[in-house]
Amino acid sequence: MSSSTGHERTGWQRELKLLLREPPLLCSIVTVFLLFGIFILYPFAKILMVPTADDWQRAVTGAEFLSAFGHTMYSSLIATATAIVFGFIYAYAINYTDMPGKRFFQIVALLPTMAPSVVSGLAFIMLFGRRGFVTWNLLGLKTDLYGAFGLWVVQTIAFFPLAYITISGVLKSISPNLELAAQNLGARGWYLFRTVTLKLATPGIASAFLLVAINSLADFGNPMLVGGNYHVLATEAYAQVVGLWDLPMGATLSVFLVIPTILVFFVQRYYLEKHSYVTVTGKPVAGLIRVTVGPFAKWCFFGFCSLLATAILLIIAVICLFAFTEAFGYDYSFTMEHFIEGVMRQSVMTNSWIAALSTAAITTVFGILLAFLTIRKQFPGRVLMDFMAMLPVSLPGTFIGLALIMAFNDGPLTLTGTLWIVILGMTLRQLPVGYRQAVAGLSQIDKSLEQASTNLGANSFKTFTGVILPMLKNSLSVSFVYSFMKSMNTLSTVIFLVSPEWNLASVNIMALSDHGFLATASATAVGMMMTIFITFGVVKLILKDQINIFNL
Amino acid sequence: MAESVLKLSGINKYFGNNHVIHDVELDIKKGDFVTFLGPSGCGKTTLLRMVAGFYEPDEGQILLNGRNIEKVPPYDRNTAMVFQEYALFPTMTVFENVSYGLRVKNTAEAEVQQRVRQALELMQLVGMESRYPNQLSGGQQQRVAVARALVMQPDVLLLDEPLSNLDAKLRETVRVELREIQQKMQLTAIYVTHDQSEALSMSDMIVVMRGGFIHQVGNPQEIYFQPKTAFVADFIGTTNLLEVTLDGNDVRYMDTVIPLPSDVTVDAAAGRYRLSIRPESLRLTKGAAQAGEVSIPAAIKGKMFLGEKVRYFLADGSDKEWIVDAFDPGRNLLDGQVNITFQPDKAWLIQGNDPDEV
Repeated sequence: MSSSTGHERTGWQRELKLLLREPPLLCSIVTVFLLFGIFILYPFAKILMVPTADDWQRAVTGAEFLSAFGHTMYSSLIATATAIVFGFIYAYAINYTDMPGKRFFQIVALLPTMAPSVVSGLAFIMLFGRRGFVTWNLLGLKTDLYGAFGLWVVQTIAFFPLAYITISGVLKSISPNLELAAQNLGARGWYLFRTVTLKLATPGIASAFLLVAINSLADFGNPMLVGGNYHVLATEAYAQVVGLWDLPMGATLSVFLVIPTILVFFVQRYYLEKHSYVTVTGKPVAGLIRVTVGPFAKWCFFGFCSLLATAILLIIAVICLFAFTEAFGYDYSFTMEHFIEGVMRQSVMTNSWIAALSTAAITTVFGILLAFLTIRKQFPGRVLMDFMAMLPVSLPGTFIGLALIMAFNDGPLTLTGTLWIVILGMTLRQLPVGYRQAVAGLSQIDKSLEQASTNLGANSFKTFTGVILPMLKNSLSVSFVYSFMKSMNTLSTVIFLVSPEWNLASVNIMALSDHGFLATASATAVGMMMTIFITFGVVKLILKDQINIFNL
Repeated sequence: MAESVLKLSGINKYFGNNHVIHDVELDIKKGDFVTFLGPSGCGKTTLLRMVAGFYEPDEGQILLNGRNIEKVPPYDRNTAMVFQEYALFPTMTVFENVSYGLRVKNTAEAEVQQRVRQALELMQLVGMESRYPNQLSGGQQQRVAVARALVMQPDVLLLDEPLSNLDAKLRETVRVELREIQQKMQLTAIYVTHDQSEALSMSDMIVVMRGGFIHQVGNPQEIYFQPKTAFVADFIGTTNLLEVTLDGNDVRYMDTVIPLPSDVTVDAAAGRYRLSIRPESLRLTKGAAQAGEVSIPAAIKGKMFLGEKVRYFLADGSDKEWIVDAFDPGRNLLDGQVNITFQPDKAWLIQGNDPDEV
């Protein structure tokens, strides 16, 4: 044992010595840790310091907080479970059957990711709320479906796309050769699925489950809109801060929210990743389609996908109808008034666009830099850097937002009320995405390519810009587009960070819905989807790449 | 004559507009070790996958033990396959991998135990039952893949380039072992490879393919000494191909008349004639040819000393390149102008165009 410690010490010292010989490298490493220290460690330390012992005690004894904690666990657990089951069936149908309309289903499943997740809550209010189109206009009911049930439905639909995208990736990474081998040995149908496909996919599904769970635990908009009296931690924290001006209590509650997500993060990182079977054995063969289900099962899958796709299209249709009619349900005449009111007369759309675009640029560039350091260089603290870059993935947006306002409200670095704190929040949230993409891209580039370039006389900079960057282009544009989209749509991260001067479109949708301006909220959501689409189009033209967001 | 196990007739396959398998006719006898040999993209793997049921032929019939199987799904044929990348289930131990196919068929537990043990003994895997594939070396994984197929006692054992991921030494050992096991168990096997020495050394019958056409079916000696097409002559070993013209019952190359053996039937309508002469059948001399030999003057352009032989590269009067192997060369190598001489019966006549030549 002692000898191995000694060995590591020499390794550590040797790495440090090598580092001292390369000042630019040393500088960038120190800068990265400095940035992490100021913008990650400091705010999170601060938010842990703010609550007093009294706050902690109130939080664990107060009945309303305990019930909010229970509600959060319960509602996100069932919503995640349903979303995962739906996502799995949908992804399986698209990857494993030859049902018609696969391309259509693929596109429809991704449409909700273009709008804030709160849009499904908004559509739910418009259809099943107190004055909902279905409940009131069609059925004449005076009831509503707010509360646990409504939240379950809305969150399931809101998080289904994320579940589908993640699980589809898992299923795609399973080598078809393994299923062919099983068929070749006589396995079929349910037996083949159970013994091979499901077993191989299990670690990936568990990861997807945890990812969706983190998102639904932290979801703020939907519980706010359709939760009714069913309070969850995220809304309760918001109520404490905005309603009662009790910042310490809000901080306490958001820390409670972090505990389960951090736990989930550690399980994912240190258990599931080591047990994943995503070792690709054999190249997929062209023309081989892994059809493993019979015609009856195929049409069952088709029916299921059609139902889900209809639900999603219904949501989008309802949003559009409300956005462009005088008052849907009462006056069906076409109007642009809501659109002009929600999108043109306000600066929110431009603000969102500026903030999201800056965030996308920063996370993409910073992501490559980080990945280059952790993948290609050896230095003390490499593992820590990797850990810190991935950490924000597990932190609920409300927690990040609260931590930032507490840390940068005063002192030498006062950012509250500026655009910078909005961008900072979005960047923290999206950094893991940019970093992950860059790591994945870099790991695929063999080191010998860099060596070949240096061997031919190019210096490090020329090698990076001439050889590495062009090869990374694909994964970089994916991460750019993805962080842009997510930043446009994020609500929980920015809800505490916006100011009257720098308000954002997603927050506006939420606020307008909450105050009953459903048509203007819908129009803003439509404007948001259009903004995202147009930006994609422009990015695509500029980069001239083959990226198709619908091929996820 | 052994009975026929597998019969392919009139097989055609298209991928979109690509016609990838052309009118394949093949009859495989019980206990034969048959090799599909050809360069990549020749259709050998596609043909194998059709036998396994992973593709359906667009035209034609596949008979396995007299039963039409072209529409039978892969899981209802007894055609266990060894995959190129092994395709071992990473979630299962060696024992679970090998017993998988038996368990699918609800085989009695005692029989599973006994058959798996037999297969593991045969493949020298005893003691590794509870290991997972990622704890095995490449060679061991390959053995597990073979054991998993053998245990099914398939009507036809299918092997898709199973040795291509092993290093050269191991490949030769496994080659011998595979052949021994196949003969001991009297298995019918189809083996896909692009390696001609594997094909020549292991097979009872070789099917040479290119461009989706079967060029020739025959035993290794026939394939080597009596190639039916220019491609077969060139792909198996090395050869000199001469474009010749008919001259009565003989052929003419430039000014030289080369007599054909009396048992060769010339098809006057074939249109194109080529002679294939192996480098080892040629001799180089500074002097005159011996009686009955053909002699063609040529200049030595280059040479490669390979130990047991020297390979000379020459150019004749029409600038055609010749390859000549001189065995037991000694220290003095030839240079300059020489005569290439050979016995006319060493030249093999190839008539007509190859099936995939336009």
